[in-house]
Amino acid sequence: MMKFGNLVVAGIVTGSIYAVFAVCVAVWYRVSNILNLAVGDFAMTGALGVDYLSRVENWPLPLSILATLAAIAAFGYCYDRVVLSLAQDRLRRHEGIVVTFFFTFALSFFIEGIAQILFGTNVHAAPALWPGNSLGLGGGLNIERAGILVLACAVISGGMFALYIRYTLSGKAIEASGENYLGARIVGIDTRQYRRSIFVITAVLAGIFGIVESPITGYTYISGAVISLTGFIAAAYGGFRNPARALVAGLAIGILEALLGGYVSAEYGDTVMYAILAALVLARPRAMGFESAVSN
Amino acid sequence: MAGLSRLITGRARPGGPLGTTGLVVLVGLVVVLAFGQQYVGSVLVLAFTYAIVTTGMAVQIGFSQQIAFSQSVFMGLGAYGAALLNTHLNLPTLAAAPIVMLGSGLLALVLGSVVTRASGLALAVATIMLPLIATGYVSSAGYLGGSVGMPLAGNLWQASSPDLIAAGNGVITVIALGLAVFVASRILNSDVGLELYALGVDERTAAAMGISTPRRKLELFVLGSMFASLGGAVYAGTQLFVPATLVGSAAELSLLIMLFVGGRRSIIGAVVGALAVEYVSGASEWVSVNILLVEGALITVVLLVDPEGLAGIAGTLRARLRAWLRARVSGLVEVPGAAVGATVGATVAASAGAAVGTAGAAGTGHLRVTDWERAGTAGPAVPGDIGVPLLECSGVTKDYGGLHVLDAVTLTLPARGRYGLCGPNGAGKSTLLGVIGGTVAPSAGRVLLGGADVTGLPPQQRFYLGMSRTFQAVHLITGRTVLDNVAVSCLRSHGSSIAAGIARSRLDEARDKAAEALDYLGMRALMGRDVSSLTLESQRMVEFARAIAPRPRLLLLDEPAAGLSEPQRDRLSGVLHALGEVTCVLLVEHDLGLVAQITERIFVLDYGRLVFEGSPAEFNDSAVVNSLLIGQ
Repeated sequence: MMKFGNLVVAGIVTGSIYAVFAVCVAVWYRVSNILNLAVGDFAMTGALGVDYLSRVENWPLPLSILATLAAIAAFGYCYDRVVLSLAQDRLRRHEGIVVTFFFTFALSFFIEGIAQILFGTNVHAAPALWPGNSLGLGGGLNIERAGILVLACAVISGGMFALYIRYTLSGKAIEASGENYLGARIVGIDTRQYRRSIFVITAVLAGIFGIVESPITGYTYISGAVISLTGFIAAAYGGFRNPARALVAGLAIGILEALLGGYVSAEYGDTVMYAILAALVLARPRAMGFESAVSN
Repeated sequence: MAGLSRLITGRARPGGPLGTTGLVVLVGLVVVLAFGQQYVGSVLVLAFTYAIVTTGMAVQIGFSQQIAFSQSVFMGLGAYGAALLNTHLNLPTLAAAPIVMLGSGLLALVLGSVVTRASGLALAVATIMLPLIATGYVSSAGYLGGSVGMPLAGNLWQASSPDLIAAGNGVITVIALGLAVFVASRILNSDVGLELYALGVDERTAAAMGISTPRRKLELFVLGSMFASLGGAVYAGTQLFVPATLVGSAAELSLLIMLFVGGRRSIIGAVVGALAVEYVSGASEWVSVNILLVEGALITVVLLVDPEGLAGIAGTLRARLRAWLRARVSGLVEVPGAAVGATVGATVAASAGAAVGTAGAAGTGHLRVTDWERAGTAGPAVPGDIGVPLLECSGVTKDYGGLHVLDAVTLTLPARGRYGLCGPNGAGKSTLLGVIGGTVAPSAGRVLLGGADVTGLPPQQRFYLGMSRTFQAVHLITGRTVLDNVAVSCLRSHGSSIAAGIARSRLDEARDKAAEALDYLGMRALMGRDVSSLTLESQRMVEFARAIAPRPRLLLLDEPAAGLSEPQRDRLSGVLHALGEVTCVLLVEHDLGLVAQITERIFVLDYGRLVFEGSPAEFNDSAVVNSLLIGQ
């Protein structure tokens, strides 16, 4: 029972990371109709960037964090200004999901390539923000300190997103542009503006998560791909458009992964999990929210 | 009339299957034999190996738009399979290749029958799990060499000297690629190819045009897997080592990069893409270390310039060059193409009065429909007499949650005549048409066609039984010509397998039939145009032509006159009058004047219930109809 509890706690921590990335993918897909496959790479950049600045360049930690996040934001902004605006606004727009998918996917390769040059290929992690042993929750349950930070970040950022979309005018505008891109533009919503700001915000958010989480797992220059993939899969179970379902799916995948790793086998746990996820898509595509994504 | 379509659009294609294959094999052999012993040669042989896989992907992912992330899995299966057969059974790698292809095909058949039930993104998400599962398995399977990989001894070509081995390996690789290219381009240029293209653009429309979409999707999955495993076997037999990284999402993505850099819808593009990416990555030390950066930048730039990749860029350049040459030459000599156009124009001008619809042309159409119909006795047979009802809907009900869209609708149509379906917005007209056409499953009730229960049949089966339809919103196959759009409904390849497309193509037959229908509608001049370049009204007429071209027993038209100009309306009315003599036409229409003018019997729906049925005269006088539709 204790093992189960600990596995669930660990699962919730990783699951909340997946959940946040899934939400990032889903929210941005709503505004832009582009699937962001580079979101995990921003997390990797956050973790390795802070590590590099503080460990190699001996910058103070707060300055390293600020500088890294600023760099991520600047890069995201420039990428949108140059590549995405060329791809979506100027050239042929209705190329469908497949081609635009490749832009973020190429971006992911590009960031990983740069990270390889800057940070090398070893495993690194940002310094722990809250150092110390894991905390007991009573009843033999343990949680790592970084895990608590991750959960706190997930709750705060998820809550802010929800409040933003529900209660602000620009949040409504985002929802509108997700429903109907052209219609939103006709009523005066500058969808490009939202595409840009959400892209930059989600990139920075991913960076923060990378910094907070990296002491638990450690990152290499290609760690981002796995995170993006899991975020993408979790977002897929929300039909790519439903952030709330993406959040739940992310948590569920995290818990499933931890339980399978603990009970089935560490070696084949992931394999079994992917098989289960594939079976879910095939068995109930409609219930999994795929129809809405397809009809788009 | 035969050969008409070729006269209009049948310019001798430079990229026919044999031409493409010849080009690839020739260039490949020259390259392999010239550089075989050098480093460049080995890079190119590897590129040709990947090109075998990307050629299959061009058919499956590019052309038919079935995004399945399973290529690296089957490539790995081919490579590991060949290595195992070679190591443990001492089978030559070359002999192992067909065995692993067959094995992959069978596995893909089993896997695909589950996976290809999903469409679009669901298919992508379901299949993205496959490389993840396969990596997990491969990296911990001891007999495959675990996370390192598996060495083998058997070259594709066994010879005494390393030079001969390298040359032999290279030649076999090129021949295998040539085979792959030949098969792929034969399929794409055949009638099955047109089916696949239609499937890629819009699965639902494809089904309504009689294309058996589940079967084609499964066949594509199997085809892609067999190409991939051939590539894998060649990989094993030329590299003599199967790395575990051959399988997995990273490998999957680099294959996709090759395809998209080259041009996803072009066979030559797929080959060139593999060459370009492999060549670039082997070009220098710096590039191969920083391959991620280079690939990322490369694909971004190529897709920004043209979403169709290098093939698209080459196509644009060629078109520009041709236009430039034509502009230079036209002052001096007459261009051959223009001469053909003029001849065709002359023959058409007398009969059809070109594409400009006039009231007079409608009259001509009325006369000529009998010719057109008589010529079409080869079309679906029209069994039964006037006495036997063609279509019977009994108690058709459709609920969405608590909402009754259709409430026990019962109506009967005979084998011939023109019938109208009217009603206010939201009355359930389109839903009823969907139930009859097979795209909407009724909650209760039955649909009989010629006495046979078709309630459970998918749209493509109803199409075979002689049902044909248009949609409220235009659903055309963008990127193809008007002729091909109409030819889609005249294809007779539905029953045959994708492999039959390699052996023979009856595409020209279908195009001829389509050309006749277009000619009858006075749209001959539009035949060679891309449908995306047409105005909305012409697009509607193309859709109408597509619906009547197979000479259906039952023609379902959803607002055919919406967006049409006055002359086109007149022509449509003339055509429908003539068609009603030989077939049964049911049209949903908002233009009450047009309905009363065209049809001989009118049904009115309100809140999903049939509230009126009668002749146009009764329709005009009915109090129910007036209060409902005119608001008096």
